[in-house]
Amino acid sequence: MIWANPIFRRYCRSRLRVKGLGLTMIITLIIATFIFFSTRTMAGYRMDMEMIDSERTPLVPLLVVQWILLFLFGTGQCAGGMTTEAEEGVLDYQRLAPMTPLAKVFGYLFGLPIREWVCFLATLPFTLWCLWRGQVDLVAAGAVFAVVISSAILYHLTGLVAGTVVKNRRRAFLASMGLVFVLYLLMPQIARFGFVQFQYLTALPTLAEAGPAGLPRTEGAALATAQALIDPESRPFGLNLPDWGFTLITQAVVSLTLIVMLWRRWRRNESHLLGKTWATGLFAAIQVGLIGNALPLVDSGRIFPSREMMRRYRMFEGWEPDSSEAIIMVAVVVLMSLAILWIFTAMISPSFDTQIRGWRRVKKLGRTRLLVGSDPTTGFGWTLIMALCGAVGSIWFAKGIIESHWFPGATVPWQAMLAILLVMITGGIGFQAMLEGRGKKTIVLTALFVGIVPVLIAVVMAARDDTLTTPAVWIGSLSPLLAPFLAASFIDIEGLPIEVTRVAPLAFYFWQLVGILVTIKLALGLRKKRAEVAAIASRPGTTAELTDS
Amino acid sequence: MVAKTAYSEDAPALEIRDLRVDYGEFVAVDEISLEVPKGEVIGIVGPNGAGKTSTFKVISTLLEPTYGDIKLCGIDILENQEAARRILGYMPDLAPVPRDLRVFEFLDLYADAHRLGSKKARRSRVDECLEAVNLMDKRTSWCKEMSRGQTQRLVLAKTMLHRPKVLVLDEPASGLDALSRREMRLSLRQLADDGATVVISSHILEELAEMCTALCIMSLGKIVSRGSAEDVRRELGQTIQSLVATLVDQPDNAAKWLGDQAGVDTVAVTQGNRVTCNFDGDGAAQADLLAAMIGAGFRVRAFGEGRSSFEDILANVASEARTPPPLPQQAQDVVDSAEPQISQS
Repeated sequence: MIWANPIFRRYCRSRLRVKGLGLTMIITLIIATFIFFSTRTMAGYRMDMEMIDSERTPLVPLLVVQWILLFLFGTGQCAGGMTTEAEEGVLDYQRLAPMTPLAKVFGYLFGLPIREWVCFLATLPFTLWCLWRGQVDLVAAGAVFAVVISSAILYHLTGLVAGTVVKNRRRAFLASMGLVFVLYLLMPQIARFGFVQFQYLTALPTLAEAGPAGLPRTEGAALATAQALIDPESRPFGLNLPDWGFTLITQAVVSLTLIVMLWRRWRRNESHLLGKTWATGLFAAIQVGLIGNALPLVDSGRIFPSREMMRRYRMFEGWEPDSSEAIIMVAVVVLMSLAILWIFTAMISPSFDTQIRGWRRVKKLGRTRLLVGSDPTTGFGWTLIMALCGAVGSIWFAKGIIESHWFPGATVPWQAMLAILLVMITGGIGFQAMLEGRGKKTIVLTALFVGIVPVLIAVVMAARDDTLTTPAVWIGSLSPLLAPFLAASFIDIEGLPIEVTRVAPLAFYFWQLVGILVTIKLALGLRKKRAEVAAIASRPGTTAELTDS
Repeated sequence: MVAKTAYSEDAPALEIRDLRVDYGEFVAVDEISLEVPKGEVIGIVGPNGAGKTSTFKVISTLLEPTYGDIKLCGIDILENQEAARRILGYMPDLAPVPRDLRVFEFLDLYADAHRLGSKKARRSRVDECLEAVNLMDKRTSWCKEMSRGQTQRLVLAKTMLHRPKVLVLDEPASGLDALSRREMRLSLRQLADDGATVVISSHILEELAEMCTALCIMSLGKIVSRGSAEDVRRELGQTIQSLVATLVDQPDNAAKWLGDQAGVDTVAVTQGNRVTCNFDGDGAAQADLLAAMIGAGFRVRAFGEGRSSFEDILANVASEARTPPPLPQQAQDVVDSAEPQISQS
């Protein structure tokens, strides 16, 4: 029971004192009361709305206040609270407390933002009045609030993870704020390019679905009609589940992942944030989610960003997606898969210290091998599996879009599929082998001089003169960030610039060959180093012998 | 296969085997081994950077060692962390307290975490610990309002709430005045009398020597000496006898006279009319020297052997750590002959 959790009780004591809570509560109630009365009065007396409709008008502004309380302040409190404890030094006391890691996670999760939850609850009477007197469909209202609470817990967990990983209090607070804005502003934009499932990390699809039920009846009906006309129903995976159902499922998966991260860190401070099995499974689930969410939207055209633009200007007549739009979407999906692969790889690749400790423990327990999937084991094989999953997912997505009815006769050639496979494998394995074999500093320098600088140079050259397009493509192709776009350019659809279709394949193959050779060298070097670590770790000795960088 | 470890009444309170802690290339604790029987109060001292705090953090399960085994009353702390934490009490250096809790709330949080019973039982235990550290009058004060000494005592109270079998205290007297240190010593003595084993570090060395049943000197990650206070003093203190003479008057003349005597060197006048010197004679020679001094007209109030203070011992250890002694010639030859091979590889 959460109320019996010592950490939860601790924060109830400190954050619900009359002095601290009182002022926050007064401000919250003043704002909520003002919104409640002003909107109803305006609607009822100035706009001559009927009672039912005027009682509904405070719902949306109240939801905004509740959003600010829970998502902004609550998340910031979670992140800031964790780092405050770490900075003050009292976090060590909690580590030593004989509570299970899960109990500690839940204690902080509900304890740190307790004041924000109480203020949120204080606004609920106003909301309940509006729901009652406005005769709002309770199922729709229940769906919205279920998603609001689920989203709040998700963002609070994000704040806790930020506070656990980022050591500085101010940076943790800013990181958590940034994450909330990224989730609400950036993710819906990425959703336009095929990663539709990211929008289910927010409450927006549920609000769009249930919104008409909470608005004044005329506006609600108009919105519902417009939505039906503009956005014909296309359910993820073709399943007949409401948006709030998909939202709860998506958020539950992510929340569970964050809980696992925190549990691992509380169990052992030196643990990786995710185990290898979980990371690989989650990556595969993201790919499945990509396919299941994106492809049902192809037939209606909802998946294309240009359709959204046309919808805003009400210019549906004669709309068709552009061929380059499809290729860019494929490239973005490959790039996003690669970026997520890099993040997961960084999480599961062991540092030198972790390997040493692992081998020592193996010796102590009388074993001869590291436990499969344990933190000290190499992430090489797991990264390869994730890279293959990413390639399969991206190819499937490409085929789904390119071979749709929007591009008659178009196919995804085997060269494009091979290119996508190469990009994922060399990009993923090369990164992993470099990270584990050479360390973080090498990765950062490589990211700078191989990843970013060639792109900058290529952009400047291409902007300067058309005659420099060819060398720009050659130089830019060095960067793994442009490799997905080059891979996608193998999809031979009319409309691409001639300079690109002529040069891109050659440049791509050349740099991929270089990448493969470098990756093989790095992989062999990693294998050698791990063997050295295992041999030396089996006897006492200075670890300075083992570092060669 | 290592057998699963469990609490054992017969096992030593603390057992450290080949403990090593590396921070990257820096070796903080260099394969130390130590065994502390139950009921002992052992002081671990050493200059800054000796590896004490790293050792304490490993023992308290807050830091994972690079390798090594540590057992608390038979429990392997790396294999069975939760069980180890139940019998362990840890007090860090400059122990922090949360700023937003009152004293009794802070203690109640950990009494609750250690499942010390109902609200009434927890309250009773909290009051008991506050009495033990003489902070009952501060029960409802804010933690942030406590002085340095009060904060240390408060954290000591928190550390002993669950009646741990092993207490690990990193500089518990840090920042305390003489009276507070005395009170701390009394509290620790009571804990030891109640059967706890105490592992403590401090920079107030003479006090530590007085309180502890054993001392352990660390330097550069290694244990350089271990035993009772006298054993350590004998092992690491000066080998040359020092004498101290307290005079009624004329300390400078006495010092000049002593300096002219055979077997005497390093004469110094310290405050309180005291003259110290090194003397390489035995007990009979000391008696002759005293007789000669009195015969020379000096009025001697007190005369006796001086002992190396622990500060001196620690200073010696620290300076040896900064300038390691030259290698024995045989070892140097080995290094010299190996060098061309090393440079070639």
